[in-house]
Amino acid sequence: MRTKSYIPYLFLTPAIVLFAIFMVYPILYSFLLSFQTSQGGEMTFAGLDNYRRLFSDDIFFTALKNTFVLLVVQVPIMLFGAIVLASMLNSIKRWKGLFRVSFFMPAVTSLVAYSIIFSIMLMEDGLINQFLGALGIKAIPWLSDPIWAKAALILAMTWRWTGYNMVIFLAAMQNIPESLYEAASLDGAGRFKQFFAVTIPQLKPVILFTAILSTIGTLQLFDEPYTLTKGGPSDATLTIGMYLYQTGFRYFDFGYASTLAYVIVVLIAVVSFIQFKWTEEKA
Amino acid sequence: MNKLSKGIGLLLATSVVLGACGNSNDNNAAPSSDSGSGAADENKVTLSAWAWNVNVGALNDAMELYKKDHPNVELKVEDMGRLDVYDKLSTGLAAGGQGLPDIVLVEDDRIQGYLDAFPKGFLNLSDKGFDGKDFPAFKQQLTSKDGSYYALPFDAGPTGLFYRRDIFDKAGVKAESIETWDDFIAAGKTIKEKTGAYLLPADKFKDDANFRMMLNELGVFYFDKDGNIDFNNPKAVQALDTLKKLGDADLVKDVNGWDGTVSATVDGSVATVPFGAWYYGTIIDQAKDTNGKWGVIQLPAFEKGGNRAANLGGSSWMIPSATKHPDEAFEFAKYFATTPEVQQMAMEKHGLFPSLLSTYSQPIFQSDVAFFGGQKIWKLFADEMKSIPTPYYTKDYAIAMDEAVKAQAHVFMGQSAKEALKSAADSLKSRTKRNVNNY
Repeated sequence: MRTKSYIPYLFLTPAIVLFAIFMVYPILYSFLLSFQTSQGGEMTFAGLDNYRRLFSDDIFFTALKNTFVLLVVQVPIMLFGAIVLASMLNSIKRWKGLFRVSFFMPAVTSLVAYSIIFSIMLMEDGLINQFLGALGIKAIPWLSDPIWAKAALILAMTWRWTGYNMVIFLAAMQNIPESLYEAASLDGAGRFKQFFAVTIPQLKPVILFTAILSTIGTLQLFDEPYTLTKGGPSDATLTIGMYLYQTGFRYFDFGYASTLAYVIVVLIAVVSFIQFKWTEEKA
Repeated sequence: MNKLSKGIGLLLATSVVLGACGNSNDNNAAPSSDSGSGAADENKVTLSAWAWNVNVGALNDAMELYKKDHPNVELKVEDMGRLDVYDKLSTGLAAGGQGLPDIVLVEDDRIQGYLDAFPKGFLNLSDKGFDGKDFPAFKQQLTSKDGSYYALPFDAGPTGLFYRRDIFDKAGVKAESIETWDDFIAAGKTIKEKTGAYLLPADKFKDDANFRMMLNELGVFYFDKDGNIDFNNPKAVQALDTLKKLGDADLVKDVNGWDGTVSATVDGSVATVPFGAWYYGTIIDQAKDTNGKWGVIQLPAFEKGGNRAANLGGSSWMIPSATKHPDEAFEFAKYFATTPEVQQMAMEKHGLFPSLLSTYSQPIFQSDVAFFGGQKIWKLFADEMKSIPTPYYTKDYAIAMDEAVKAQAHVFMGQSAKEALKSAADSLKSRTKRNVNNY
């Protein structure tokens, strides 16, 4: 049976139109905006001024540094935790569903809701410090010390996203042939040896995939620092995403905010590219 | 993937709105989302407004009164979060007035920022015949620019030191004897020793409300009247240094945001809360069990006999110039702002302290307030209004506040007030290209 050749395109049109309006157009428009600046309420073309401004902007560099510290510390901890959890869940026989759901639950809670709850638990006289106090440990200034504030963010993000990555790893583990483990155990490899010599190498492409997703997520990090610390104390947890928001919506500088958005885009592209190259060479 | 779409999504959303404006610059006659609806009858006008919290109730009640003489006017108030109002207002203005309401509530400290960033965004009210002579001087300054009014003054926040009579009694401290901040610190030490309560709450690392009250009390602010950065002013240093002393004596309870302040107020872990008069509403609403146990004095002065009047907060009504009903919106907002009965109603029912001077002659301002142990608190606040100095916010207020909060954080982490303010001034200079006053 023959259909007229344009028919499929007709069905595709709504999706393409929506995509064009809500994705392509804003992406292009914010690119234009990133070369503009506001003069008395009117946007005027400013050439590369916004991009030049980046290099003398201390706050931008602070935000960049914070973002990378969070990235370098949080992502490996979270991914390793996720793999360990996944392989444990993969080997137990009972209550599998219950554990899987429990660990995945955090990923379905709203970002703002969980951040608010963490901010309440981490207060100076909050639940966590009360618990530590009961154990005889001195209260930790979770939200008011530059280093502990970062730790608090890492704690919250790890809670939120470990289960999500775990589910991905769990799915990938179903595809590792049982024969590999049998061969390994015949060769005398114990549980630990099997984990590092079989599971991890087999998961490599999936690890790359989750690492890139998490990297992108961290580079765009906004909700957690916004709710937990407002970027403080003294910019210690200011991320690029937050600085972008402040610049646009608090300081009305939409031009420079667009520039910051494009910096994030470039960073994501570069970091993802490096991750691809790195794993390719090692493979 | 969820996070993926978030960060840039914010900006993308903005651009969409900006784009929408580019396509429809010339169709001024198109009805906006709210204001045009329901206009089946030629003379019927439905005004739309954005406001938050208790202001919504005040606006609706005022409309009930207004409708008696203006049966053709209806009002639809959208109740949203304070920051949501600002985000939507900023995006709408950046989009050339798309989707904005006829009337919007804006806090006084943000008005100049909006006027600078969007000079054509709001109706010039002086052109409509409004003048602010019925309002105190500082409120006139905050709602006007270059001699023209752009906002109709509403409530104000004359500051007071709200204190717990029972905690003071238990410690044997007399609130009336506190005249200076040094007295206050001394009293705080006694209170902490005798009762274990902190002296006051502060969001040490995220908000600088106490610092702003102190600056205003001393007649200085982030900027001077010419818009120069005034962080190095010895008075500013004195203010931040006083906060440092309070912190060093371990009298400040570090609280998390507004909710943290309210829970400290309710659970009695702090003996005083320095805040604007509007905090009355929160106290009577949230801390019902403490009925009769509260009192108010003016903020302590920096020297004996010095100024004790200051203002924190307060807001005004602005009319976006994109409105389809400028006359109706102006008439109603003016009625709201300049009618003593409306202002009294807003205070009695919603706890919003009026800035309209003629309101103060109403009997309620002489009344005893039972919740505050029979004290005449409204008289105290009304008397204070005359002596409040004008703070200069400028369009860079938000950036300056960001720097001030950081300076305060550094001071609570151990730096000296002078050093912290010096680096805040330098940083603010490079961010805003303004001059710094040196002393």
